[in-house]
Amino acid sequence: MAIDELLGGFADALTPLNLLFALLGVLLGTAVGVLPGIGPAMTVALLLPATYVLEPTSALIMFAGIYYGGMYGGSTTSILLNTPGESSSIMTALEGNKMAKAGRGSAALATAAIGSFVAGTIATVLLALVAPTVVELAIGVTSADYFALAVIAFVAVATVLGSSPLRGLAALCLGLYLGLVGTDVLTGQERFTLGIPQLSDGIDVVVVAVALFAVGEALHVASRLRRGAVQVIDHQGSWMTRQDFRRSWAPWLRGTAFGFPFGALPAGGAEIPTFLSYATERKLTKHPEEFGKGAIEGVAGPEAANNAAAAGVLVPLLTLGIPTSATAAIILAAFQGYGIQPGPTLLTTEGPLVWALIASLLIGNAMLLVLNLPLVGLWVKLLRIPRPYLYAGILAFASLGSFAVNADPLDLVLLLLLGLLGFVMRRYGWPVAPAVIGLILGPIAETNLRRALAISNGDLGVLVDTWFSRVVLVLAALALVGPIVLRAVRGPRPSPAELQHADAAADEDDTVRSADR
Amino acid sequence: MSTSTTPPGAQQRGHTGEAVLAALLAALGVYLLVDAGAIAVPGSSNTVGPRFFPYAVGGLTVLTGAALALRVLRGDRGPAEDSEDIDPDAPTDWRAVGVIAVAFLAHALLINVIGWPLAVALMFAAVAWALGAVGIVRPFLIGLLLGCVVWTVFVKALNVALPGGTVLEWMTSWI
Repeated sequence: MAIDELLGGFADALTPLNLLFALLGVLLGTAVGVLPGIGPAMTVALLLPATYVLEPTSALIMFAGIYYGGMYGGSTTSILLNTPGESSSIMTALEGNKMAKAGRGSAALATAAIGSFVAGTIATVLLALVAPTVVELAIGVTSADYFALAVIAFVAVATVLGSSPLRGLAALCLGLYLGLVGTDVLTGQERFTLGIPQLSDGIDVVVVAVALFAVGEALHVASRLRRGAVQVIDHQGSWMTRQDFRRSWAPWLRGTAFGFPFGALPAGGAEIPTFLSYATERKLTKHPEEFGKGAIEGVAGPEAANNAAAAGVLVPLLTLGIPTSATAAIILAAFQGYGIQPGPTLLTTEGPLVWALIASLLIGNAMLLVLNLPLVGLWVKLLRIPRPYLYAGILAFASLGSFAVNADPLDLVLLLLLGLLGFVMRRYGWPVAPAVIGLILGPIAETNLRRALAISNGDLGVLVDTWFSRVVLVLAALALVGPIVLRAVRGPRPSPAELQHADAAADEDDTVRSADR
Repeated sequence: MSTSTTPPGAQQRGHTGEAVLAALLAALGVYLLVDAGAIAVPGSSNTVGPRFFPYAVGGLTVLTGAALALRVLRGDRGPAEDSEDIDPDAPTDWRAVGVIAVAFLAHALLINVIGWPLAVALMFAAVAWALGAVGIVRPFLIGLLLGCVVWTVFVKALNVALPGGTVLEWMTSWI
């Protein structure tokens, strides 16, 4: 029974050492979530070398804490900084920013933090309940099914998440290429190593992730730095009033209901559910006039959706070994560093580890609530770090993390080259996450493909042999073609700002029309 | 903030850069297809060897690169990545990008010569200067302090292999 095992997980997670790592993780996660320019994916990547010294449970508890903490920290930034941030917190920024400017910053921060807590807790419990069932369903999956799952994850991260499917595919191709470099596991042949001996072990995940995220971001910011002092809106006003609370609880729950399934499907991501949540709250609110001027529902819903999606992403990661976000991909790399391959067998072979991880997520969530409600002033100070020092510091840590892997300066040269790639990708709107997922999931996909084809003696028909793989591949094809068709029929997806104003315009149209009548 | 009528920076930029990038991607795909043929296949592997997946990735890369190049030339623009510290309307500061790239390369080559803390301090100062920090001494000192503290923590407490430079290694040899 899941409950018993979860209780066992709590017993493991509540040891002083693991509590310490959970606290360290949520502290680091909140800090990097607050700081512009770095996020949880890059932080976990930088800390991957910690897997050499820490035991798996402690390291993974810390990484999961960073993952959750990053979500909390991101909301603080998007509410108090007057500029757009990560795609999944844009919807929070729309209303949260207006609330902060209207002197209700504290209420916005509080509804975001409590909403994140509620959503994170419910979604993590759902994760614990759903995971064993998914494993039972997945226990019979063949290599061909597994390959199909990898394909749908590729297609989903490349085409559904970003705003431009082709650019997502382009980034995916880059990641798949980087994953090919090195020695073929099954035959021991070198591939695309250009005769450089250091490349025969492959390009390290740490180097690629840190380069694309940290170095690429630093160069991109350097190219168009917002000059002048950083403008942080004061968080003033009272915490949530009774009325704020009454207006927030339903959006929290609805946001969770949107976020978790979207995250849990191997076509996940946090962007779409936050969009949907915002649009829904806009429709359902009793205070439509406040939307666009700082409606608390517009902060509570998307923020809950964001966090629930983050927890949902762990379902395919822990039960199928399929990562659907950049951070999840790097956590998968951490598992691999310990010689553990997440998949349907993970719950049986590494049961205690997984349950301790899930339990520590619940504990970390409670810690985050405490860290974020009273201590928000501390995090706000981080927002004021002068940008030249912030980005110089990010590069210093990028150097540390990449050099620590092999103690080879060539890795740093590679880091710079891939960083320049990350810079041009950002510049032209190529998303970075598909590249990281291609790098990590690519080799897994290849191994399963070749295993399947070896069993069938090279007959490609084996790939569509089971109903499962057929359905998944058809879904993948739909996800690949769907957005292109939709775009052709309906034009590009509305931007967040358009979404904010679209309904208002439609409402005005209605009033005009009814006035005519 | 009223919605301005001028589109954000992404739409104003020329398309040569991205067209070149997409063409390079297609070229990468061609390289993958050609070089995949050169991967040695051991006689024992019966059906699908180490070439199959590279061919598939190469093919996908060529198609994606070509399709993207076409779309870009027809005027399609990607939205530039948003970030809190980005001013989308600012002209590109190539000097800052260049200084940072050179400083980072120099620090990579200097690590084994003068040690990580000093190399990182120099890089830190150059990057901060390129991003508009006031003065050069203060950023250098901050970088040096950061480098020494981080080095001490990671090397002495966590046993990470990181060259510290003669002076720092001598000064901390008692730990």
